[in-house]
Amino acid sequence: MDPAEKLASKQKQVSISEFFEKNKHFLGFDSLKRSIITAVKESVDNSLDACEESRILPEIRVEIQRLKDDRIRLITQDNGPGIPRDDIENVFGKFLLGSRFHAIRQTRGQQGIGITGVVMYSQLTTGSKTHVTSKIGKESSAVLVELGIDTRRNKATKSGERREVWIDEITDQPVSHGLRIETEMKAKYQKGRQSVHQYLRMTSIVNPHASISLVVKDKDGSTIDHGSWARTTEKLPRIVSEIKPHPHGIHFGNLQRMLKDSQERKMTSFLRHNFSGVSLRAAKELLSAAEIDEGRSPKRISSQEAQEMVSSFHKVKLLPPPTDCLSPIEDLLIKKGLSKAIDSSFASTITRNPKVSQGNPFQIEVGLVFGGDLSSEGHIEILRFANRVPLMYQQGGCLLTKALEAVDWKRYGLDQPGGKGIPKGPAAILIHLASTNVQFTSEAKEAVADNSEVFEEIRLAMLEVGRGLKSHLKKSSQKKKAKEKFELVNIILPEIATKASNILSRDEPDLAPVITKIMNSVFLEEEISWDKERKLAICEVTVYNYTARARAYTILVKWPEMEGTAITDNVLGGRKETKGLWAWRLDTLNPGVSNTIQFAVTGLERGEWTDCEVFFRGNGEIIGASRIDEKLLEEIRKSEALEAAEEQSTNESEPPLHDLMSRAQTITHEPPKQIDSDGQTRLNSWTDNSMEADQ
Amino acid sequence: MTINRQKSKEEVIEALHGVASEMHDKMSKGNPPTMTLPVRSKTNISFDKKLGVYKYGKSKTIRDASVLGSARQLLRALHISEFVEGMISDGKTSTLREMYYISESWGNGKFSTQNESNNLAEDLEIVTKCLREDFGLRPEEDGARIIGNITFEERNRRGDWMRINCRDDVGDSGYGVPYNVEVEKLKLIDEDIDFVMAIETGGMFDRLVENGFDEEARCALIHLKGQPARSTRRIMRRMSEEWNKPILVFTDCDPWSFRIFASIAYGAIKTAHISEYLATKEATYLGITADDILAYDLPSDELTKQDLGALQAELSDPRFSTGWWQEQINLMQEIGKKAEQQSLAKYGLDFVTDTYLPEKLSALGLNY
Repeated sequence: MDPAEKLASKQKQVSISEFFEKNKHFLGFDSLKRSIITAVKESVDNSLDACEESRILPEIRVEIQRLKDDRIRLITQDNGPGIPRDDIENVFGKFLLGSRFHAIRQTRGQQGIGITGVVMYSQLTTGSKTHVTSKIGKESSAVLVELGIDTRRNKATKSGERREVWIDEITDQPVSHGLRIETEMKAKYQKGRQSVHQYLRMTSIVNPHASISLVVKDKDGSTIDHGSWARTTEKLPRIVSEIKPHPHGIHFGNLQRMLKDSQERKMTSFLRHNFSGVSLRAAKELLSAAEIDEGRSPKRISSQEAQEMVSSFHKVKLLPPPTDCLSPIEDLLIKKGLSKAIDSSFASTITRNPKVSQGNPFQIEVGLVFGGDLSSEGHIEILRFANRVPLMYQQGGCLLTKALEAVDWKRYGLDQPGGKGIPKGPAAILIHLASTNVQFTSEAKEAVADNSEVFEEIRLAMLEVGRGLKSHLKKSSQKKKAKEKFELVNIILPEIATKASNILSRDEPDLAPVITKIMNSVFLEEEISWDKERKLAICEVTVYNYTARARAYTILVKWPEMEGTAITDNVLGGRKETKGLWAWRLDTLNPGVSNTIQFAVTGLERGEWTDCEVFFRGNGEIIGASRIDEKLLEEIRKSEALEAAEEQSTNESEPPLHDLMSRAQTITHEPPKQIDSDGQTRLNSWTDNSMEADQ
Repeated sequence: MTINRQKSKEEVIEALHGVASEMHDKMSKGNPPTMTLPVRSKTNISFDKKLGVYKYGKSKTIRDASVLGSARQLLRALHISEFVEGMISDGKTSTLREMYYISESWGNGKFSTQNESNNLAEDLEIVTKCLREDFGLRPEEDGARIIGNITFEERNRRGDWMRINCRDDVGDSGYGVPYNVEVEKLKLIDEDIDFVMAIETGGMFDRLVENGFDEEARCALIHLKGQPARSTRRIMRRMSEEWNKPILVFTDCDPWSFRIFASIAYGAIKTAHISEYLATKEATYLGITADDILAYDLPSDELTKQDLGALQAELSDPRFSTGWWQEQINLMQEIGKKAEQQSLAKYGLDFVTDTYLPEKLSALGLNY
C-alpha cells in the first residue's frame, strides 16, 4: 500500500472512533447512566417505526441484566417484520449515513446515529459483539448473527451466522416474525425521572397501540425494576405522506444544493417539482420577483441569484404546505395512553389543527390528567414529546415547558405560587409537538427551540385543557354539595327526627315539608360505569325533585356517537336530538319523587367515556345540569343538515359540542325560593315545539 | 353570695329534653330543626356588673340543620342528651374521653375528634344552663395540686368524708384537686393562712415548696398546670368566697400567661356561661410583669410573631380593657421581650423567696 493511502486509512480509522468519542454527549452516550437509556431508545424507536410501516401492532420487550463492573446486558425483542438476512449489515452499520435529504415527513427521527451507535458503544466499552436474531414472515427459520463495527471500513461486520427455528422464551411458541438484539455495554441502571422505566412509560403513553414491558434484573438474578404497559387501542398511527419542502423553510444553503442536484432543465419546473405550495403561476411570480428568466437552467444559477431567489420566497403569496404529512396521536388516543400509565380521575385532551411555521407544518397536542393516584405534593409532572419521542432532559430550557409556564394556572384550579412557573397539584400535562422539522436547542435533541408560533399554539391548547379542568372541578364541587344534601335529608335528618321523638316519647314528625324546605331544588346526578362482561359503558342519570311543585323536563345527554358506537338498553327510549346528543322527556316529576334514565353504549373501550355532560330544557333550574343553548343547537342542526345534503358522510368530525358546553349557562345553587306566587303547579306539554315554550 | 347550682336529676333531664323539644317542634311545623346558642367569641362577652365577671352577651347563633355539618351537630347533641339521661338514671359518670369513645357506636352521630365532643358538651351546658358535673361528665385533665396549712373534707369513693390537711396529710406533690369540687364532694373546713398563691409552672411551684415558702409566708400554694382546669378555678373561687382570702396569681410574663390570669379573674371566653361559678374577681396579678423584666433586669426572650399577635388581640379583649393591663401590654410591645418565672434564678435559687416575692407582696400590703 502506498504510504499516503496507509496514512489516509489510518486517519479515517482514528476519526471514526474520535468522532464517537467527541460527540458522545449528543449521541447520548456521555454518561453510564444515560448510555443505557439511549441504547433502549434507539432500539425501541426502530421497533416502533418498523411495526408502523408494516402495519403490525407492536409487542416490545426490554430486558436488562446487571453484570459485574458496571456492565449491563441489554436484550430487546419486538414482533416487527424482522430484517432480511442481506440487509442486516446495512441496517446496523449505516454509520454516518445521512438520512433522506429531500423527503420531508414526520419521523421519530434518529437520536444521534441510531442503532449503529449501540453496536459501536458496546464494542468500544466491552469489546463484545452484538447478537442479532431476525426472522421475516416468509422464511421458516430465523437468522442469528454476531455484529461488530469495522472502524477501518466504516461498516458492520458479521460473524458466526447460523439459522435456527426461533421459539419464544416466554410464550414457548414459534416466532413468526420479529427482531431480537442482545448486547453488552458499560452502563449503569438507575431509577427515577431519567430512567429506562420513565422512557418506556412515556413512550407507551404516546404509542397506545403498543404493548411494552420491562424487566430489570440484578447480578444475582433478582428483579429490581419492572413495568408493563398493555396496548389500549388496536388503531395504528396513520401512514404519513412525504411532502416536499415549502419555500418558507428554505435557507440559502439548502437552495444552492437543490439547484445543483436538480434534474429539471428550467427554473419554472424546478420550482414546481421540488417545492410544495408552488403553482405554475407562483413559480412565475417568484422568478420575476428574483429577476431570473423562467427558462434558465437551475444548475447555472449563480449564488447571487440564489440569494435573490430566497428573498423572493417571502415576497410572493404562496399556498401553505399540506398538513397530511403529520401524524398526531389524536386526543382520544392520548386519553387512552395517559390512562394506561397514570391513574387519574379526570382527563382533558386536545389535538389542535395543524399550523405552519416557516414553511414547516406542525401540530400541537396536549393532555391533562388530574386527581386519582397523582400526588398533590409538589410540581405537576410534565411529559414532553417531539414526534412521539419522549424528551427527558433539559426540561427547563424547552419551549414546551416555557409555554406551559406562561399560563395562569390559578384560573384553572391549579396552584401556581407567584402566578407563574410550573404549577403544583395532583396533575400531569402531556405536550406533543408533531412537525416535519422540529427545531431543537442543540444537537442533543432534548429541548425544543423557541418559536413564537409554536409557543402560541401550545398556549392555546393549554387554555383549552385548562377550561376542561376548571369545569370538571366546578362540577365535582357541585356534585359534592349535592351529595352532602342527599346525605343530610336521607340519612341525618330522619335520624334526628327518630332520636328527638324517642327522647321525648312523641310521634315522629312528617319530614317531607322539612326536606322540601332544606333542598328547594331539583338535583341531577349522573354516573358512568363499566360493564366488564358485556363491554358496555352504562350511563345513569337520576333527577330528584325536591321542590314543592311538580316539574317536567327534557334531559339531554352528550354521548360519544361515532363509527362503531351505539346506544342500547335504553328503557325510556327518547330520541336523537342531534349527533352525539340524545334526549328524554320526563313528563311529570312530582314533589319528592326521583326518576332515572339509564342507557348503555356499545363499541367503546374501558376508560373511553368517563365523564358525561347533561343538559336540560324546561322550567326551573336543575343543580348538576346546564340549560341547553337552543340557538347553538339550531346552528349545529343546520350545519349537520348541510353536511348530509352534501353527502359528506365520511367526515367524522364531531359537531362543535365544545362550544355548546361553554356557551351553556351554568347553574349555581340559589337561595331558597318560595313557591310561585300563584301557587300553581305548572306542567309543560311536551311537543316538538316545546323549544320555543321553554324560555 | 351563695351559689345554689344544685339541680335535681329531674331538672337536668327536663333541661336536656328542652334541646330535643326545640328540634321536634321545628320539624313538626315543617321547618329544619335548630339549636340556639350564644355566640362564643370575644366579641360577645361583656362585663356583668351584678356578678362582677364577664358573661356572654345577647348575640345568638342558630345552628340550623339545612347544612350537613350543622345537622350532624344536632344529631350528636341528641345522642349526648340520650347518653347523659341514661347515665343520670344509672347513677354513673364518665370522662369526656370515654364519651368520645362511646360515640363510636353512634353511627352518623359519631364524633370525629375529641375536641368536637368537648365543645358540644359545653354547648349543651350553655343551652340547658346545667354544669357538665350535672351531666356526670368529667374532664380528662387533672386538677391542681395544693400545699399549705388548710383543711378540706372530701367524700371518697366509698361515700365517707375524709379530712385532709394540705400540709400535714400530703406528700411533696400536694393535695390533688378532684374534678368535682362542689359541696356534695368537697367541704372547706379550716385554714391558717394569710393568702393563696396560684403558680403557673411546676418548676416554680416546686421551688417555693422546697424553700418552705408556704409556711414562711403563711399561704396556700396552688399549681395551676398551665391554663387551669375548671375545678381549679372553682376551688380558688370557693377559697376566696368562703375564707375571704386574697388570691394572688404568679405566672410567666408572656401574653398566654395574661390569658391564664384573665380566665381566673374575669372568666374564660369558652366558659363565660358559668363565669359566676368559676371566676374569682378578687384575684390579683402578682407577676411577672413587664415592669419586673426591666426592674430586676431578668433574662428575657424576644417576642415571637405569634406573641405579638396575641398581645394585639388582647388589646381589644374587653377583659384587658383596664388602664393597668393596657399599660402592661403596651410596655411589653415596646420592649418586645417576655420572661419566664424561673428566670429569677439568675440571682440564685433563693432569690424568689428571699427578695422577689417579699418585695412584690409588700407592695400589695402583705408583709410577713
